[in-house]
Amino acid sequence: MKAVFAIVKRLLASNKISFIITALVILCATSSGDVALSNGNYTWLLAALTPFFFVFYDFTKLMHLGASKKDYFFACLISYGFLAFCISLVNTVIHILIDPVYSARTVINMMDVCKWTQNGILVAGLQQMFFLLLVMVFLHVLLFMQPHWYGWLTDAVLAAVICIFTPIAPLRAILSGFFRIIMFNGNAVLHIGICLLLSAALSFLGLVVLKRKTL
Amino acid sequence: MIELKQVTKQYGQAAVLKNITLSIDEPGIYCLLGRNGAGKTTLLKSIAGYQNITDGIIKVDGKTITTSALDTGVSYIENFAKHFNLPVRKLLRIASEVNPNYDYDFAWEMMERFELDGKKKFNHLSLGMKTMVSTIICLASNKEVILLDEPVLGFDAIMRVEFYDMLTESFQKHPRIIIVSTHIIEEIANTIQKLIIIDKGSILFFDTLQSVEANAFSISGLQKDVEAATQNLNIIGQDTVGGLVTSYIFDAPPEQTTSLEIRPLSLQEFFIQMVGHKGGVKR
Repeated sequence: MKAVFAIVKRLLASNKISFIITALVILCATSSGDVALSNGNYTWLLAALTPFFFVFYDFTKLMHLGASKKDYFFACLISYGFLAFCISLVNTVIHILIDPVYSARTVINMMDVCKWTQNGILVAGLQQMFFLLLVMVFLHVLLFMQPHWYGWLTDAVLAAVICIFTPIAPLRAILSGFFRIIMFNGNAVLHIGICLLLSAALSFLGLVVLKRKTL
Repeated sequence: MIELKQVTKQYGQAAVLKNITLSIDEPGIYCLLGRNGAGKTTLLKSIAGYQNITDGIIKVDGKTITTSALDTGVSYIENFAKHFNLPVRKLLRIASEVNPNYDYDFAWEMMERFELDGKKKFNHLSLGMKTMVSTIICLASNKEVILLDEPVLGFDAIMRVEFYDMLTESFQKHPRIIIVSTHIIEEIANTIQKLIIIDKGSILFFDTLQSVEANAFSISGLQKDVEAATQNLNIIGQDTVGGLVTSYIFDAPPEQTTSLEIRPLSLQEFFIQMVGHKGGVKR
Protein backbone atom coordinates (compact mmCIF):
# COMPACT_ATOMS: atom_id res chain seq x y z
CA MET A 1 0.00 0.00 0.00
CA LYS A 2 3.00 2.28 0.52
CA ALA A 3 3.60 2.36 -3.23
CA VAL A 4 -0.08 3.09 -3.93
CA PHE A 5 -0.13 6.06 -1.57
CA ALA A 6 3.17 7.31 -2.98
CA ILE A 7 1.54 7.28 -6.42
CA VAL A 8 -1.56 9.03 -5.02
CA LYS A 9 0.72 11.73 -3.63
CA ARG A 10 2.49 12.11 -6.98
CA LEU A 11 -0.77 12.15 -8.96
CA LEU A 12 -2.16 14.93 -6.80
CA ALA A 13 1.11 16.86 -6.79
CA SER A 14 1.38 16.80 -10.58
CA ASN A 15 -2.21 17.98 -10.91
CA LYS A 16 -1.28 21.55 -9.94
CA ILE A 17 -2.39 23.08 -13.24
CA SER A 18 -5.91 21.69 -12.76
CA PHE A 19 -6.03 23.10 -9.23
CA ILE A 20 -4.83 26.51 -10.38
CA ILE A 21 -7.21 26.74 -13.35
CA THR A 22 -10.14 25.66 -11.19
CA ALA A 23 -9.24 28.10 -8.40
CA LEU A 24 -8.87 30.98 -10.88
CA VAL A 25 -12.22 30.24 -12.49
CA ILE A 26 -13.95 29.98 -9.09
CA LEU A 27 -12.44 33.25 -7.90
CA CYS A 28 -12.85 35.22 -11.12
CA ALA A 29 -16.23 34.00 -12.38
CA THR A 30 -18.96 36.63 -12.19
CA SER A 31 -22.65 36.64 -13.09
CA SER A 32 -24.88 39.54 -14.09
CA GLY A 33 -28.64 39.96 -13.86
CA ASP A 34 -31.13 38.67 -11.32
CA VAL A 35 -30.02 35.08 -11.63
CA ALA A 36 -26.46 34.23 -10.62
CA LEU A 37 -24.54 31.01 -11.07
CA SER A 38 -22.95 29.84 -7.86
CA ASN A 39 -19.17 29.98 -8.04
CA GLY A 40 -19.19 26.59 -6.36
CA ASN A 41 -20.39 25.06 -9.62
CA TYR A 42 -17.00 25.73 -11.12
CA THR A 43 -15.36 23.36 -8.65
CA TRP A 44 -16.60 20.64 -11.00
CA LEU A 45 -14.02 21.83 -13.47
CA LEU A 46 -11.38 20.06 -11.39
CA ALA A 47 -13.20 16.76 -11.92
CA ALA A 48 -13.18 17.35 -15.67
CA LEU A 49 -9.50 18.36 -15.88
CA THR A 50 -7.90 15.84 -13.52
CA PRO A 51 -8.28 12.66 -15.65
CA PHE A 52 -6.42 14.35 -18.53
CA PHE A 53 -3.34 14.76 -16.31
CA PHE A 54 -3.60 11.31 -14.74
CA VAL A 55 -3.85 9.65 -18.14
CA PHE A 56 -1.69 11.71 -20.49
CA TYR A 57 0.91 13.16 -18.13
CA ASP A 58 1.39 10.80 -15.21
CA PHE A 59 0.97 7.26 -16.53
CA THR A 60 4.10 6.92 -18.68
CA LYS A 61 6.28 8.77 -16.19
CA LEU A 62 5.15 6.60 -13.30
CA MET A 63 5.81 3.46 -15.34
CA HIS A 64 9.32 4.73 -16.09
CA LEU A 65 9.86 5.24 -12.38
CA GLY A 66 9.08 1.57 -11.90
CA ALA A 67 5.50 1.75 -10.65
CA SER A 68 3.31 -1.23 -11.46
CA LYS A 69 0.08 -0.94 -13.44
CA LYS A 70 -1.77 -2.44 -10.49
CA ASP A 71 -0.57 0.25 -8.09
CA TYR A 72 -1.33 2.98 -10.66
CA PHE A 73 -4.88 1.67 -11.09
CA PHE A 74 -5.65 1.66 -7.36
CA ALA A 75 -3.90 4.99 -6.87
CA CYS A 76 -6.08 6.58 -9.55
CA LEU A 77 -9.26 5.26 -7.92
CA ILE A 78 -8.19 6.53 -4.50
CA SER A 79 -7.23 9.91 -5.96
CA TYR A 80 -10.55 10.27 -7.77
CA GLY A 81 -12.39 9.34 -4.58
CA PHE A 82 -10.39 11.84 -2.56
CA LEU A 83 -10.83 14.62 -5.14
CA ALA A 84 -14.55 13.89 -5.45
CA PHE A 85 -14.81 14.29 -1.67
CA CYS A 86 -12.82 17.54 -1.67
CA ILE A 87 -14.71 19.09 -4.62
CA SER A 88 -18.01 18.15 -3.06
CA LEU A 89 -16.94 19.57 0.29
CA VAL A 90 -15.85 22.89 -1.24
CA ASN A 91 -19.01 23.26 -3.33
CA THR A 92 -21.16 22.37 -0.32
CA VAL A 93 -19.36 24.93 1.85
CA ILE A 94 -19.76 27.56 -0.89
CA HIS A 95 -23.45 26.66 -1.15
CA ILE A 96 -23.92 27.04 2.60
CA LEU A 97 -21.75 30.07 3.27
CA ILE A 98 -21.29 32.12 0.09
CA ASP A 99 -24.43 31.54 -2.00
CA PRO A 100 -26.75 33.11 0.67
CA VAL A 101 -24.67 36.33 0.52
CA TYR A 102 -26.31 37.15 -2.83
CA SER A 103 -29.69 37.60 -1.13
CA ALA A 104 -31.05 39.93 -3.80
CA ARG A 105 -30.45 37.43 -6.56
CA THR A 106 -31.39 33.86 -7.28
CA VAL A 107 -28.27 31.77 -7.02
CA ILE A 108 -28.18 28.54 -9.00
CA ASN A 109 -26.07 25.79 -7.58
CA MET A 110 -25.94 22.44 -9.40
CA MET A 111 -26.76 20.70 -6.14
CA ASP A 112 -30.19 22.36 -6.27
CA VAL A 113 -30.62 21.82 -10.01
CA CYS A 114 -29.90 18.13 -9.61
CA LYS A 115 -32.48 17.95 -6.77
CA TRP A 116 -29.86 16.64 -4.35
CA THR A 117 -30.57 19.29 -1.69
CA GLN A 118 -34.09 17.85 -1.27
CA ASN A 119 -32.52 15.31 1.08
CA GLY A 120 -30.56 17.78 3.19
CA ILE A 121 -27.19 19.31 2.59
CA LEU A 122 -25.15 16.40 3.96
CA VAL A 123 -26.80 13.83 1.69
CA ALA A 124 -26.59 16.31 -1.19
CA GLY A 125 -22.84 16.51 -0.60
CA LEU A 126 -22.61 12.72 -0.68
CA GLN A 127 -24.67 12.48 -3.87
CA GLN A 128 -22.47 15.09 -5.46
CA MET A 129 -19.35 13.22 -4.40
CA PHE A 130 -20.45 9.92 -5.93
CA PHE A 131 -21.62 11.65 -9.10
CA LEU A 132 -18.25 13.37 -9.50
CA LEU A 133 -16.48 10.07 -8.88
CA LEU A 134 -18.51 8.59 -11.73
CA VAL A 135 -17.64 11.51 -14.01
CA MET A 136 -13.91 11.20 -13.30
CA VAL A 137 -13.82 7.43 -13.73
CA PHE A 138 -15.80 7.75 -16.98
CA LEU A 139 -13.42 10.39 -18.35
CA HIS A 140 -10.40 8.37 -17.23
CA VAL A 141 -11.54 5.27 -19.12
CA LEU A 142 -12.54 7.28 -22.19
CA LEU A 143 -9.18 9.07 -22.31
CA PHE A 144 -7.23 5.89 -21.72
CA MET A 145 -8.91 4.35 -24.76
CA GLN A 146 -8.06 7.23 -27.08
CA PRO A 147 -4.85 5.88 -28.61
CA HIS A 148 -6.69 2.71 -29.64
CA TRP A 149 -9.32 2.05 -32.30
CA TYR A 150 -11.91 1.20 -29.67
CA GLY A 151 -11.42 4.63 -28.15
CA TRP A 152 -12.31 6.31 -31.39
CA LEU A 153 -15.23 3.93 -31.83
CA THR A 154 -16.51 4.84 -28.36
CA ASP A 155 -16.21 8.55 -29.22
CA ALA A 156 -18.17 7.98 -32.41
CA VAL A 157 -20.84 5.96 -30.60
CA LEU A 158 -21.20 8.62 -27.89
CA ALA A 159 -21.44 11.40 -30.49
CA ALA A 160 -23.92 9.37 -32.51
CA VAL A 161 -26.06 8.64 -29.42
CA ILE A 162 -26.24 12.35 -28.57
CA CYS A 163 -26.90 13.41 -32.17
CA ILE A 164 -29.53 10.77 -32.87
CA PHE A 165 -31.21 10.61 -29.46
CA THR A 166 -31.57 14.38 -29.04
CA PRO A 167 -33.84 15.27 -32.02
CA ILE A 168 -36.10 12.19 -31.91
CA ALA A 169 -38.68 12.54 -29.15
CA PRO A 170 -38.97 8.90 -27.95
CA LEU A 171 -35.19 8.49 -27.98
CA ARG A 172 -34.81 11.85 -26.28
CA ALA A 173 -37.02 10.57 -23.48
CA ILE A 174 -34.66 7.62 -23.00
CA LEU A 175 -31.63 9.92 -22.94
CA SER A 176 -33.21 12.33 -20.49
CA GLY A 177 -34.35 9.37 -18.38
CA PHE A 178 -30.77 8.19 -18.21
CA PHE A 179 -29.55 11.61 -17.08
CA ARG A 180 -32.44 11.82 -14.59
CA ILE A 181 -31.11 8.64 -13.00
CA ILE A 182 -27.42 9.43 -12.93
CA MET A 183 -27.63 13.18 -12.34
CA PHE A 184 -31.00 14.85 -11.76
CA ASN A 185 -32.09 12.38 -9.14
CA GLY A 186 -33.70 13.32 -5.82
CA ASN A 187 -33.73 9.72 -4.63
CA ALA A 188 -30.42 9.64 -2.79
CA VAL A 189 -30.18 5.89 -2.26
CA LEU A 190 -30.98 5.11 -5.90
CA HIS A 191 -28.68 7.86 -7.14
CA ILE A 192 -25.70 6.87 -4.99
CA GLY A 193 -26.31 3.20 -5.77
CA ILE A 194 -26.41 3.81 -9.53
CA CYS A 195 -23.32 6.05 -9.42
CA LEU A 196 -21.38 3.47 -7.43
CA LEU A 197 -22.50 0.64 -9.68
CA LEU A 198 -21.57 2.51 -12.85
CA SER A 199 -18.27 3.63 -11.32
CA ALA A 200 -17.45 0.02 -10.44
CA ALA A 201 -18.40 -1.17 -13.94
CA LEU A 202 -16.36 1.59 -15.57
CA SER A 203 -13.41 0.86 -13.24
CA PHE A 204 -13.53 -2.75 -14.34
CA LEU A 205 -13.58 -1.60 -17.96
CA GLY A 206 -10.70 0.74 -17.14
CA LEU A 207 -8.73 -2.21 -15.80
CA VAL A 208 -9.33 -4.12 -19.03
CA VAL A 209 -8.14 -1.11 -21.05
CA LEU A 210 -5.13 -0.66 -18.74
CA LYS A 211 -4.17 -4.28 -19.33
CA ARG A 212 -4.05 -3.61 -23.06
CA LYS A 213 -2.11 -0.39 -22.65
CA THR A 214 1.28 -0.40 -24.37
CA LEU A 215 4.21 1.88 -23.71
CA MET B 1 14.54 -16.69 -15.39
CA ILE B 2 13.46 -15.51 -18.82
CA GLU B 3 11.92 -17.94 -21.25
CA LEU B 4 10.90 -17.12 -24.80
CA LYS B 5 9.12 -19.76 -26.86
CA GLN B 6 8.64 -19.20 -30.58
CA VAL B 7 8.13 -15.49 -30.10
CA THR B 8 7.02 -13.56 -33.16
CA LYS B 9 6.19 -9.89 -33.32
CA GLN B 10 4.70 -8.33 -36.40
CA TYR B 11 3.92 -4.73 -37.21
CA GLY B 12 1.41 -5.11 -40.01
CA GLN B 13 3.04 -7.48 -42.49
CA ALA B 14 6.59 -6.81 -41.26
CA ALA B 15 7.94 -9.38 -38.81
CA VAL B 16 10.32 -7.71 -36.36
CA LEU B 17 10.86 -10.79 -34.20
CA LYS B 18 10.84 -14.12 -35.99
CA ASN B 19 10.11 -17.27 -34.04
CA ILE B 20 12.60 -16.57 -31.25
CA THR B 21 13.22 -19.28 -28.69
CA LEU B 22 15.59 -18.33 -25.90
CA SER B 23 16.09 -19.29 -22.30
CA ILE B 24 18.08 -17.22 -19.81
CA ASP B 25 18.34 -19.22 -16.63
CA GLU B 26 21.16 -17.77 -14.62
CA PRO B 27 21.75 -14.34 -13.15
CA GLY B 28 24.36 -12.44 -15.11
CA ILE B 29 25.03 -9.42 -17.24
CA TYR B 30 24.01 -10.18 -20.80
CA CYS B 31 24.84 -8.02 -23.78
CA LEU B 32 22.29 -7.77 -26.56
CA LEU B 33 23.96 -6.85 -29.83
CA GLY B 34 22.31 -6.11 -33.12
CA ARG B 35 22.30 -3.63 -35.93
CA ASN B 36 19.81 -0.78 -36.05
CA GLY B 37 16.38 -2.25 -36.71
CA ALA B 38 17.49 -5.77 -35.78
CA GLY B 39 14.69 -6.05 -33.21
CA LYS B 40 16.57 -5.29 -29.96
CA THR B 41 14.15 -2.72 -28.59
CA THR B 42 11.13 -4.75 -29.65
CA LEU B 43 12.56 -7.79 -27.90
CA LEU B 44 13.32 -5.89 -24.69
CA LYS B 45 9.95 -4.12 -24.66
CA SER B 46 8.19 -7.45 -25.17
CA ILE B 47 10.06 -9.03 -22.25
CA ALA B 48 9.14 -5.99 -20.12
CA GLY B 49 5.46 -6.36 -21.02
CA TYR B 50 5.42 -2.90 -22.60
CA GLN B 51 3.91 -4.38 -25.75
CA ASN B 52 2.25 -7.59 -26.83
CA ILE B 53 3.80 -10.16 -29.12
CA THR B 54 1.95 -11.55 -32.11
CA ASP B 55 2.68 -15.18 -31.37
CA GLY B 56 4.53 -17.32 -28.82
CA ILE B 57 5.05 -17.09 -25.07
CA ILE B 58 7.29 -14.98 -22.88
CA LYS B 59 7.73 -16.00 -19.26
CA VAL B 60 9.67 -14.29 -16.50
CA ASP B 61 10.08 -16.35 -13.34
CA GLY B 62 7.25 -18.56 -14.57
CA LYS B 63 4.86 -15.66 -15.03
CA THR B 64 3.53 -15.09 -18.54
CA ILE B 65 4.40 -11.60 -19.73
CA THR B 66 1.98 -9.53 -21.77
CA THR B 67 0.65 -6.01 -21.33
CA SER B 68 -1.98 -7.65 -19.09
CA ALA B 69 0.63 -8.48 -16.45
CA LEU B 70 -0.06 -5.79 -13.89
CA ASP B 71 3.22 -6.41 -12.08
CA THR B 72 5.92 -7.96 -14.25
CA GLY B 73 8.98 -7.98 -11.98
CA VAL B 74 10.90 -6.50 -14.91
CA SER B 75 12.45 -3.06 -15.00
CA TYR B 76 13.02 -1.62 -18.45
CA ILE B 77 14.45 1.72 -19.39
CA GLU B 78 14.88 3.30 -22.78
CA ASN B 79 17.27 6.14 -23.48
CA PHE B 80 14.64 8.81 -24.04
CA ALA B 81 12.49 7.83 -21.07
CA LYS B 82 10.23 10.63 -19.89
CA HIS B 83 10.30 11.59 -16.24
CA PHE B 84 8.60 14.17 -14.08
CA ASN B 85 10.40 17.50 -14.34
CA LEU B 86 11.56 17.41 -10.74
CA PRO B 87 14.95 17.77 -9.05
CA VAL B 88 16.98 14.60 -9.47
CA ARG B 89 17.09 13.78 -5.76
CA LYS B 90 13.31 14.12 -5.53
CA LEU B 91 12.90 11.90 -8.57
CA LEU B 92 15.08 9.24 -6.94
CA ARG B 93 13.06 9.51 -3.74
CA ILE B 94 9.75 9.10 -5.57
CA ALA B 95 11.19 6.08 -7.40
CA SER B 96 12.08 4.60 -4.01
CA GLU B 97 8.51 5.11 -2.82
CA VAL B 98 6.84 3.48 -5.81
CA ASN B 99 9.25 0.52 -5.97
CA PRO B 100 8.92 -1.85 -3.01
CA ASN B 101 12.50 -3.23 -3.22
CA TYR B 102 14.26 -0.04 -4.25
CA ASP B 103 17.86 0.38 -3.07
CA TYR B 104 17.83 4.07 -2.17
CA ASP B 105 21.39 4.06 -0.79
CA PHE B 106 22.72 2.68 -4.06
CA ALA B 107 20.81 5.29 -6.06
CA TRP B 108 22.07 8.11 -3.85
CA GLU B 109 25.65 6.85 -4.00
CA MET B 110 25.49 6.67 -7.80
CA MET B 111 24.01 10.15 -7.99
CA GLU B 112 26.99 11.47 -6.06
CA ARG B 113 29.55 9.40 -7.94
CA PHE B 114 28.30 10.64 -11.30
CA GLU B 115 28.27 14.17 -9.95
CA LEU B 116 24.61 14.56 -10.77
CA ASP B 117 23.33 17.80 -9.34
CA GLY B 118 20.52 16.63 -7.07
CA LYS B 119 18.90 20.05 -7.15
CA LYS B 120 18.79 20.24 -10.93
CA LYS B 121 15.47 19.49 -12.56
CA PHE B 122 15.31 16.53 -14.92
CA ASN B 123 14.53 18.57 -18.06
CA HIS B 124 17.57 20.78 -17.43
CA LEU B 125 19.98 17.84 -17.57
CA SER B 126 22.04 16.91 -20.63
CA LEU B 127 21.05 13.81 -22.64
CA GLY B 128 23.81 11.78 -20.99
CA MET B 129 22.79 12.86 -17.50
CA LYS B 130 19.11 12.12 -18.22
CA THR B 131 20.04 8.64 -19.39
CA MET B 132 22.17 8.19 -16.29
CA VAL B 133 19.27 9.13 -14.01
CA SER B 134 17.01 6.66 -15.84
CA THR B 135 19.65 3.95 -15.58
CA ILE B 136 20.20 4.54 -11.86
CA ILE B 137 16.44 4.33 -11.23
CA CYS B 138 16.24 1.12 -13.24
CA LEU B 139 19.21 -0.57 -11.53
CA ALA B 140 18.17 0.56 -8.04
CA SER B 141 14.69 -0.91 -8.52
CA ASN B 142 16.25 -4.30 -7.67
CA LYS B 143 13.73 -6.15 -9.79
CA GLU B 144 14.75 -9.64 -10.83
CA VAL B 145 15.15 -8.68 -14.47
CA ILE B 146 16.73 -5.40 -15.56
CA LEU B 147 16.60 -4.36 -19.21
CA LEU B 148 18.72 -1.41 -20.32
CA ASP B 149 18.14 -0.26 -23.87
CA GLU B 150 21.23 1.53 -25.17
CA PRO B 151 22.08 3.05 -21.79
CA VAL B 152 25.40 4.57 -22.88
CA LEU B 153 23.89 6.75 -25.59
CA GLY B 154 25.04 10.30 -24.92
CA PHE B 155 27.71 9.25 -22.41
CA ASP B 156 31.26 10.53 -22.75
CA ALA B 157 34.16 8.04 -22.46
CA ILE B 158 34.59 8.61 -18.70
CA MET B 159 30.91 8.22 -18.00
CA ARG B 160 30.86 5.00 -19.99
CA VAL B 161 33.68 3.54 -17.90
CA GLU B 162 31.90 4.62 -14.71
CA PHE B 163 28.69 3.10 -16.03
CA TYR B 164 30.30 -0.30 -16.61
CA ASP B 165 31.69 -0.17 -13.05
CA MET B 166 28.26 0.70 -11.73
CA LEU B 167 26.74 -2.19 -13.63
CA THR B 168 29.25 -4.62 -12.14
CA GLU B 169 28.79 -3.24 -8.61
CA SER B 170 25.02 -3.37 -8.88
CA PHE B 171 25.19 -6.96 -10.07
CA GLN B 172 27.61 -8.00 -7.33
CA LYS B 173 25.38 -6.42 -4.72
CA HIS B 174 22.25 -8.07 -6.07
CA PRO B 175 22.86 -10.81 -8.65
CA ARG B 176 20.03 -10.91 -11.17
CA ILE B 177 19.48 -10.96 -14.91
CA ILE B 178 20.65 -7.72 -16.48
CA ILE B 179 20.38 -7.34 -20.26
CA VAL B 180 22.14 -4.39 -21.84
CA SER B 181 21.70 -3.50 -25.49
CA THR B 182 24.50 -1.45 -26.95
CA HIS B 183 26.45 -0.64 -30.09
CA ILE B 184 29.74 -0.02 -28.31
CA ILE B 185 30.82 -3.61 -28.28
CA GLU B 186 34.43 -3.72 -27.16
CA GLU B 187 33.95 -1.51 -24.12
CA ILE B 188 31.34 -3.71 -22.50
CA ALA B 189 33.27 -6.93 -23.11
CA ASN B 190 34.92 -6.89 -19.67
CA THR B 191 31.60 -6.40 -17.92
CA ILE B 192 29.38 -9.04 -19.48
CA GLN B 193 29.11 -12.78 -19.07
CA LYS B 194 27.09 -13.74 -22.12
CA LEU B 195 26.43 -12.37 -25.53
CA ILE B 196 23.18 -12.39 -27.49
CA ILE B 197 23.35 -11.40 -31.15
CA ILE B 198 20.11 -10.60 -32.89
CA ASP B 199 19.78 -9.89 -36.59
CA LYS B 200 16.67 -9.32 -38.68
CA GLY B 201 14.48 -10.53 -35.82
CA SER B 202 16.29 -13.81 -35.21
CA ILE B 203 18.77 -14.81 -32.53
CA LEU B 204 22.04 -15.66 -34.28
CA PHE B 205 24.20 -16.28 -31.25
CA PHE B 206 23.73 -16.85 -27.54
CA ASP B 207 26.78 -17.99 -25.64
CA THR B 208 29.58 -16.91 -23.32
CA LEU B 209 32.40 -14.57 -24.24
CA GLN B 210 34.82 -17.43 -23.52
CA SER B 211 33.14 -19.34 -26.30
CA VAL B 212 33.84 -16.45 -28.69
CA GLU B 213 37.45 -16.25 -27.51
CA ALA B 214 37.91 -19.99 -27.96
CA ASN B 215 36.22 -20.39 -31.32
CA ALA B 216 36.19 -17.14 -33.30
CA PHE B 217 39.18 -16.87 -35.62
CA SER B 218 40.24 -15.44 -38.94
CA ILE B 219 42.35 -17.56 -41.25
CA SER B 220 44.21 -15.78 -44.03
CA GLY B 221 46.30 -17.15 -46.86
CA LEU B 222 46.16 -18.33 -50.42
CA GLN B 223 42.73 -19.48 -51.46
CA LYS B 224 43.65 -23.18 -51.82
CA ASP B 225 45.39 -23.25 -48.43
CA VAL B 226 42.53 -21.50 -46.65
CA GLU B 227 39.94 -23.72 -48.31
CA ALA B 228 41.85 -26.83 -47.35
CA ALA B 229 42.26 -25.66 -43.75
CA THR B 230 38.63 -24.66 -43.27
CA GLN B 231 37.05 -27.53 -45.18
CA ASN B 232 34.98 -28.97 -42.33
CA LEU B 233 34.79 -25.87 -40.19
CA ASN B 234 31.90 -23.51 -39.48
CA ILE B 235 32.66 -20.51 -41.71
CA ILE B 236 30.77 -17.37 -40.71
CA GLY B 237 32.26 -14.99 -43.30
CA GLN B 238 34.84 -14.54 -46.01
CA ASP B 239 36.84 -11.72 -47.61
CA THR B 240 38.82 -11.91 -50.81
CA VAL B 241 41.49 -9.39 -51.72
CA GLY B 242 43.35 -10.32 -54.90
CA GLY B 243 44.47 -13.91 -54.46
CA LEU B 244 44.44 -13.62 -50.70
CA VAL B 245 41.48 -15.06 -48.86
CA THR B 246 40.42 -14.50 -45.27
CA SER B 247 37.89 -16.90 -43.80
CA TYR B 248 36.21 -16.21 -40.50
CA ILE B 249 35.32 -19.27 -38.53
CA PHE B 250 33.45 -20.12 -35.38
CA ASP B 251 34.97 -23.46 -34.62
CA ALA B 252 38.12 -25.07 -33.24
CA PRO B 253 41.02 -23.43 -35.10
CA PRO B 254 43.05 -25.53 -37.56
CA GLU B 255 46.72 -26.33 -37.02
CA GLN B 256 49.00 -23.35 -37.56
CA THR B 257 51.06 -23.69 -40.73
CA THR B 258 53.52 -21.34 -42.37
CA SER B 259 51.12 -20.62 -45.25
CA LEU B 260 48.28 -19.53 -42.96
CA GLU B 261 47.80 -16.61 -40.64
CA ILE B 262 45.43 -17.49 -37.86
CA ARG B 263 44.32 -14.90 -35.34
CA PRO B 264 41.48 -14.59 -32.84
CA LEU B 265 38.60 -12.29 -33.72
CA SER B 266 37.76 -9.32 -31.59
CA LEU B 267 34.20 -9.13 -30.34
CA GLN B 268 33.41 -6.43 -32.89
CA GLU B 269 34.86 -8.44 -35.77
CA PHE B 270 32.94 -11.49 -34.63
CA PHE B 271 29.73 -9.46 -34.47
CA ILE B 272 30.27 -7.98 -37.94
CA GLN B 273 30.90 -11.42 -39.40
CA MET B 274 27.87 -12.88 -37.63
CA VAL B 275 25.46 -10.29 -38.95
CA GLY B 276 27.14 -10.74 -42.32
CA HIS B 277 27.02 -7.24 -43.72
CA LYS B 278 29.61 -4.71 -44.70
CA GLY B 279 28.82 -1.40 -46.31
CA GLY B 280 25.33 -2.60 -47.13
CA VAL B 281 26.65 -5.39 -49.36
CA LYS B 282 26.06 -8.93 -48.26
CA ARG B 283 29.24 -10.95 -48.22
